[in-house]
Amino acid sequence: MPGMNSGLDISDPAVVAAFKAALVHQGLIALLIFGLLGLAWITLRAWLPAAGAGPAPEAAAPVAEPAWRRLLRIGFGLLWVFDGILQAQPKMAVGLPSQVIEPIAAASPHWVQRLVNIGGTTWSYHPMQAGAAAVWVQVGIGIWLIVAARGPLSRLAGLASVGWGLVVWVFGEAFGGIFAPGLTWLFGAPGAVLIYAAAGALITLPGRAWHSRRLGRLMTAGTGAFLTGMAVLQAWPGRGFWQGISHGQPGTLAGMTGTMAQTPQPGFLSAWISAFTSFEEAHGFAVNLFAVAALAVTGAAFLSGRPRLIRPALIGFTALCLADWVLIEDLGFLGGLGTDPNSMIPMVLLAAAGYLAVARAPAEAAEPASGAAGSWRDRLRIAAAPRTLASASIGSVTSLGAIGVIILGAAPMAAAQASPVADTILAQAIDGSSTPLDSPVPPFSLTDQHGRDVTLASLRGKVVLLTFLDPVCTTDCPLEAQEFRQAGQLLGADDRRVELVAIVANPVDYQLGYTQAFDRQEGLDGVPNWLYLTGSPARLAQVWRGYGIAAQIAPAGSMIAHSENAYVIDQQGHLRQEMGFDPGPGTAATQSSFAAELTDAARQLLRQS
Amino acid sequence: MSRPRRRSAATIAVLLPAAMLAAGCAGTAATSAPAAQAAPPSPSLNTSLDTAAGTWAAVVMGGSATQHNNFWQLFIRPAGSTRWKLVTPPGTADNGGLVLAGSGGQALVTGFRPSQDLTYTPLIQTSDGGQAWSSLNPLDAALASAPDALAVKPGSGQMLALLDGGTAEEAAPGSTTWNTLASQQTLAATRAGRRCGLQSLTAAAFTPAGIPALAGTCTRPGTAGIFTPGNGTWQAAGPVLPAALIRQDITVTRLTRTAQGMTALLQAGSGPDARLLAAWSPGGHWTLSPPLPLYGATLTSASFGPGSTAAIITSANRGQITTGARSAWLPLPPLPLGTATLAPSPGGTADALAVRDGTLTVWQYAPGGTTWTKVQVINVPIPYGSSG
Repeated sequence: MPGMNSGLDISDPAVVAAFKAALVHQGLIALLIFGLLGLAWITLRAWLPAAGAGPAPEAAAPVAEPAWRRLLRIGFGLLWVFDGILQAQPKMAVGLPSQVIEPIAAASPHWVQRLVNIGGTTWSYHPMQAGAAAVWVQVGIGIWLIVAARGPLSRLAGLASVGWGLVVWVFGEAFGGIFAPGLTWLFGAPGAVLIYAAAGALITLPGRAWHSRRLGRLMTAGTGAFLTGMAVLQAWPGRGFWQGISHGQPGTLAGMTGTMAQTPQPGFLSAWISAFTSFEEAHGFAVNLFAVAALAVTGAAFLSGRPRLIRPALIGFTALCLADWVLIEDLGFLGGLGTDPNSMIPMVLLAAAGYLAVARAPAEAAEPASGAAGSWRDRLRIAAAPRTLASASIGSVTSLGAIGVIILGAAPMAAAQASPVADTILAQAIDGSSTPLDSPVPPFSLTDQHGRDVTLASLRGKVVLLTFLDPVCTTDCPLEAQEFRQAGQLLGADDRRVELVAIVANPVDYQLGYTQAFDRQEGLDGVPNWLYLTGSPARLAQVWRGYGIAAQIAPAGSMIAHSENAYVIDQQGHLRQEMGFDPGPGTAATQSSFAAELTDAARQLLRQS
Repeated sequence: MSRPRRRSAATIAVLLPAAMLAAGCAGTAATSAPAAQAAPPSPSLNTSLDTAAGTWAAVVMGGSATQHNNFWQLFIRPAGSTRWKLVTPPGTADNGGLVLAGSGGQALVTGFRPSQDLTYTPLIQTSDGGQAWSSLNPLDAALASAPDALAVKPGSGQMLALLDGGTAEEAAPGSTTWNTLASQQTLAATRAGRRCGLQSLTAAAFTPAGIPALAGTCTRPGTAGIFTPGNGTWQAAGPVLPAALIRQDITVTRLTRTAQGMTALLQAGSGPDARLLAAWSPGGHWTLSPPLPLYGATLTSASFGPGSTAAIITSANRGQITTGARSAWLPLPPLPLGTATLAPSPGGTADALAVRDGTLTVWQYAPGGTTWTKVQVINVPIPYGSSG
C-alpha cells in the first residue's frame, strides 16, 4: 500500500527518542490541565461557597446507574486507558502503520486497503503527532468514562467511545477483517474495537432507558444472535477449521496459532500456544466441534432471555473466552506493537452487562425532568461558568480534564494533517541532522541539460540546493531527484529565488543525452529552476574533489558508487548546510520528509536575506 | 423510544451477525478463468554472439533469490583464443539484462535493459573487444526482453530497437532522436501483417542489404512472420514452410544478421507438438533445417556462432547443435549443471557456459564426444546488495 509505510526501522533511536520526548512534554501539559482545573475548582468552591455546597444538577433528578452500565463504563474505561498506555510503546510511532495496520488490511479487498491506506499514510507522514494523539485520545476517553457516572458528560463519554472506536475499527483494524477470508470469532471477529463502540453506544443511551427490561432483552438477544451467527460461521465447511492438518499443512486455526507462537512473548506463553497448536493439529475436528457447540449453546441461552439459563452460560462463556484469549489470541498486547488486549475481555464485559441488564432490572425509572437539561443550558453560559465549575462534582471536573487530554492529543494531529508534507524527523532519522556552516564553496563551470554554460557565480543572488546524481542510477538518485522536485513545489512562489541543481556523478554516462533522458524520466524537464549539470570526465572529477564527492566505477554490472549529500548554498555563494542525502527506504513519507527539510533550509536563507 | 424503533433495533441485532456471516463466507477463493493460449516465450537473454572480435556471451549471474541481485555479465572469447574473459561494461547497473548487437568489424553495442526506477535504456559501445567502452546516446524507452531487441547496421551505426510495448524504433547514427519505425498494430494492419495475423513482435535485425527487418508471431497457420519495408509498406520476407508445418502457428523466436547473412529460429506449434527450425538466408532465399521436436519443452537459450552454426538449450536442460544450412540438429551430451548458454563453433564443437552464483565454468564439447570437459573457471566479484 503506497504511503502507509515510512520504511524506517521501527526502533530507530532518533524517532523513539522524539516520541518519548513528545509524550513527556504532552504528559506534563496533561498534568497541568488537571492541576489548573483542580485549583480553579477548589478556589471557586471557596469563593462561591453557596454554589459549592448546592446540589449538583445530576443530583436534582437522581437516576441510579444500573450495574450493567457501571460495568460497561468502568470496564471499557479501563480498557481504553490500557490501550492508550500500549500506544505509548516505543515502536508504535513508526511501527503501527507498517507492522500492524498494513498486515491486517493485506487480506482485505482493495477498496478496504485503499481506505485504510488513507489513515496509514497520514500516520506515516506525522508519526510523532499521530502516535501521541492515539495515546492521549484513548487515555482521555478512558478516564472520562471512568469518572463520569451520569448526566450528559457521561453520555458524551459513551459517544466519544463510539466515535473513536469506529475510527480505530475502520482505519486501525480494517473493519475487524470482516471482509477478509478466514473470519472467525476465535481470532477476534468482528474486531475488538467494534465491541468498544457497541458498549459506548449503550453508555450513550439516556437515563430513561437504563432500567428498561426491553433494553436488557435486546442486549441479550443481540449477543445471542451474534454468537449463534459466529457458531454457524465456525461450522461452515471448506474454511479449514475442521482440519487440524490439511495436505500436510496446518489447518486454518493451527496455522494462526502457530504463527502467534512465534511472536515475542514470555517463554511459558509461547510454550502453551505451541502445545495448543500441536493439540489442534492432532484433534482439529474435535476442537472445532467444541467451539461450534460452545458458541451455539451460549448463543441459544442468551437468545432465550432467561437469567437462569444465561447465568451458567455466561460462566462457561467467560471460561471459553479466557482460554481463547490466552491460547489463541495470545493476550493480544505483547510483542511491543500490541494495541489492545484483543476481543475476548470486551466480549465478556458486553455479555456480562447483558446478563446484569435482564437479571437486575428494577422497575423502569422516569427520565430526569426536562428542567435538568434546561439547567445545563443555563450553566453553559459564559457568565455562569465560575458558578457552574464551583457547583460541579469532582467527577465532572475530572471529566473536563479528560476532555482537555483528548484535545491535547487530537489538536496537534489535526493541525499536522492539514499539511500534506511529512515531518522532517523522518529524514533526520535516516541521515541525522545537518550542522550550520558558513564557508565559500568551490566554484564550478559546467553545462546544463540544454547545453548552456552554467557557473556557480552565475547563480549568485539565489539560494542553491545542490546535489550529485547518476543519470543511470536505478535506485537512490531517482528518489533524490523527486525530493528536489517536491521541494520546488513546496517552495511555491519562493521557487523563483531558488535554483535546484544537480551535477552528474557518473564518469561513463555523463553526456547531455543522459541528463536529458533522466530529466524526462523524472518529470524534471518542465521545471524552470532545475539544472542538471555535466561536463567532461576531467572537469566533473575536479568538481567532485572540490565537494568531497567520491564517484567510483563498481565492478561486474553494478552502478556507480557515489556519495549522497545535499548542499544548501546561500545567495552569496557560501555553503550554509551540508546534509546527508541517502534517501533511505524511499517511501512516500521519507521523500516528503526530505523535501520538507530542503524547503525549510531554503526558506531559512530567504528569510535572512 | 417508540415501538417501530425497537423493532428496527431488534432487526439490526439479528441481521448484523447474519451480514457478518455472509461477509465471512464470501471470502472463499474464487476460481480463475483459463488463460488464453499465448505465443511461446522468447528465449532468455543468456546468449552468445559471433563477431570479428570474437565470440561474446551474456549470462546472468548472482543467483540470489532477489532479482536485484542478479547481475548480467559479458564475456568474450577473442578471435583466435580459447580462453574467455570478463568484459562487463562499466558505469551502469545491468540487473535488467544485457542485449547485444554486433555493429560490424570489432564493434559491439550493448543495451542495458532498465530495472527498478530506471525507465530508459543506456547504450554503450566497444570497438576493441571490450577493453574500452564509450556511451552512446540512450534509448528513451525500455528495450524488449528479447535477445534480438537491438540491431546495428554495420558500417553506418544506424540502430534499430524493439521496445517493451511492441514498437520498433530506429535512430540515425549519432542521433539523440529515435523515430518509430513500426508497431505491432501498424504492421498487423498491412497486407503482409494481415496474412500473418501478426500477434506480437519478437526480433529486429538489419538484412545484409542494410534494410530493417522485423519478426514476430503469426496466428495464421503456416506463415513465418518476417517483414521488410518495400514500396511504402511492409512485405513478407520469411521462408516458405514445408507442407508438414502449414497447420502450425509459427513464431520467429530469433532473427539476427551473421557473417553469412540472416539467421532465424522458428518455432512451429506449441505444447507437446512444438518443433524448432533454423533458417538461413544469405540474401533473399531461405534454407531450413529439419524440424527438431521439443517434446513439450520450451526454448531457454539460443545462440548463433560462426559459419552458420546454431545451438539451443531447452527447458529440459537438453542441448542441440546444428552446423549450418540443411544440417540436422545433433544432440549434445547432457549439459553441465547450471549451463546458461552455448557458444557453437564450426565443426560442431561448442562451449557450455555454466553459472553458479558468482562462478562461471566453461565446458567444452568436441564432436563425437560423450562428455563435456572443464576448460576454464572465472570468478566474478558479484556486488550483491548494490542494486537493491
